[in-house]
This record gives sequence, structure tokens and C-alpha cells, in this order.
Amino acid sequence: MEPLTLKRQGTPGYWISGVLCSSLLAIPSAAQAHGAHIQSRNTPAIEIQAHYDSGQPMAEAQVQVFAPNDLQTPLLRGLTDGEGRFLFVPDQPGDWEISVRQAGHGDIAVVPVTLEGTVTPDYNNSGELTPVQRGVVAAAVIWGFVGTALFFRRGKP
Amino acid sequence: MHIPDGILPTQVCIAGYGIAGGITWGTLRQIRKTPDPQAQVPKASLLAAAFFVGSSISIPIPPASVHLVLNGLLGTLLGWYAWPAVLIGLLLQAILLGHGGLTTLGVNAVMMGGSALIAAQIFQLRYRFPALLHRKWFLGTLGFLAGAIGFGLAALIFFGLIIFTIPANLDRVTEQGTLAALMIAHIPLLFLEGGFTALVVLFLYRIKPELLES
Repeated sequence: MEPLTLKRQGTPGYWISGVLCSSLLAIPSAAQAHGAHIQSRNTPAIEIQAHYDSGQPMAEAQVQVFAPNDLQTPLLRGLTDGEGRFLFVPDQPGDWEISVRQAGHGDIAVVPVTLEGTVTPDYNNSGELTPVQRGVVAAAVIWGFVGTALFFRRGKP
Repeated sequence: MHIPDGILPTQVCIAGYGIAGGITWGTLRQIRKTPDPQAQVPKASLLAAAFFVGSSISIPIPPASVHLVLNGLLGTLLGWYAWPAVLIGLLLQAILLGHGGLTTLGVNAVMMGGSALIAAQIFQLRYRFPALLHRKWFLGTLGFLAGAIGFGLAALIFFGLIIFTIPANLDRVTEQGTLAALMIAHIPLLFLEGGFTALVVLFLYRIKPELLES
């Protein structure tokens, strides 16, 4: 009977300790902290800038960043700034896919990233035509159409 | 207005190519039935050039920039020939200017070329009213309606396709908000396209009315 009595006497103490421990565990870790610290360090980041054909930046457009090891699920999501820019820090080398979309318009860029987290030196994403090149291409196409029109308009022999 | 690569699901792109193939077959059959199928080729070539250039004239209206489409004009002036003109114009725009895309060529063709064929049928209504056939106001009104409805239908197809195919991993509310803003931005363009088509119709009626005959 004695052990039972002792056990009964000690029960409230165990309960109090248990409740205290549980309460401490239940408190969010952030609330247990007494202060906050911010660390800073240099890290290589990649910036993209999206704009429309007209040159107007794609401001507040939706961005999705896909890591090389999972091109189905976006690793990061966000919005471009007013100039159409978005910054992210790659955590692994490989081909990163960045999708920018706004109102049914958008583009997907594949950015090759090195082990150091920088863009491959020989990568060139400025494959767009300059306004002069565009003008030349448009003029050539127009001349092609005009030539076709003249060809079919010529007198039949 | 052009839907670029990577925006639509693969099934929609394939369906677009399928429908575009069927329309191409149908329009070429109609063109072959004409007494001289080559007679309209010069006009079709010149208007295809106008269509090609039209998309390069951007009008910045937030959140994106809009541009002339001129598909209603092509339908009004070319009839069945509007389809091949739009198709070739879209192909060259995708390859040379990066407007639209090759995977979405079928969808874009159905969107703009199909609407052009509807515009053509609207302008054909003039033959149902022989008494009004040579009234300028009547031709101008039909031209306006053909141009505006041709463009409006293309815009509706564009917005419908985009709204119903927003990917699950995209913020739907944000995308729908920007789409609504872009849709509103296209309303002035509706009147611009209609007005431009009416002006061209009236101009051709004055200087060379045979160009309006079909």
C-alpha cells in the first residue's frame, strides 16, 4: 500500500511538471527568443528583366522560378518590380527556368547557372532584334508581299 | 493579341492546329471554285503585308500594350482569301518578329483568321439589300461592323482561351485582374479597327469600287 500512497502523493507534482513542459514546448519558438539578429553576406544572385515587344516593362508580372532538378513545381514565386525586374539566388548549378506571365502574355527563359551560382559566361539572352533589324526584316517581308502581288498581276502571256 | 509559346496547354495547341487545318481545307476549296483563283492574289498579298505590319504598331495601354490587328479589314476586302493571308502573316510574324509562336500558330490563326471570315460574311450582307448597295452610309456602316466585330471576336476568343487555361500554380486572381484591365484597354481599339475599316471601304468605293466586289 505504501508505494501506492507515495505514488498518489506524488501525482500532482508530476502533473505540474508535465503541464509546464508541455506549455514550454507549445510556445512558438519565435516567442521563446529574446531578440532578433540579422546577418548579411555576399551571395551571387541572378536578375531577370521582362518587357513587352514595345519595350514597356512587364511591371507586377507573375514570376515562377523552376530549379533544374524539378521543372514541374516552381521553387519560387513572386512579382516583378515596376521595371519588370526579379531577383533570385540559385542554390544549385544547372538550367534554371524562369517564367514571366501577365494577362496572357509572357515568356520562358532558361538560364544556365554555374557551380559558383553565376550565369554561364557564354550565355546570351539578348537574342531579340534591334529596332533597326526589325525594320529591315519588316521591309524585306513587305517587299516579298509586294513582289508576290506584282508577279500575279503581270499580264498573262 | 497574339498568344505566345508556353501560355496554352498542349491539348489546346493541338486542337488549334486541327481546326486551322480544317478551315484551310475549306477555304482553299472555296477559292478553287472561283473562275480565276489567282485574280485575287495581288490584293491578298498587299493586305497580308498590311496585316504583318499592323501588329508592329504598338499602342501602350497598361497593363500591356495593344496593337492593330486588321483581321476585320482583311475579311472585309478579301473574303475567303483572308484566311491564307492571315495564316501566312502570322507565320512570318512568329518566325521573324517573335509575335505569337509556332506552337500557338493554329490557335492564333483560328482566333484572327476565323474572325476575319465572320467579318467577310458580315460585309457580304450588302448583297441582301440591293437598294442600299450603292449608298455610302450603308457601305460604311457594314465596313465598320465587319472591322469591329472581326476584331472583337478575336479579342473574345483570346480572353476566353487565357481565362479558361490559367495554370493551377499561377495566382488566378492576379491574372484575371490584369486580363480584365487588358480587356478594357481593347475597347477603344474596337472602334479604331471598325472606323479604319469603314474609311478604307469608303475610300476604295470612291476611287476603285471594283476592289470591293467579290
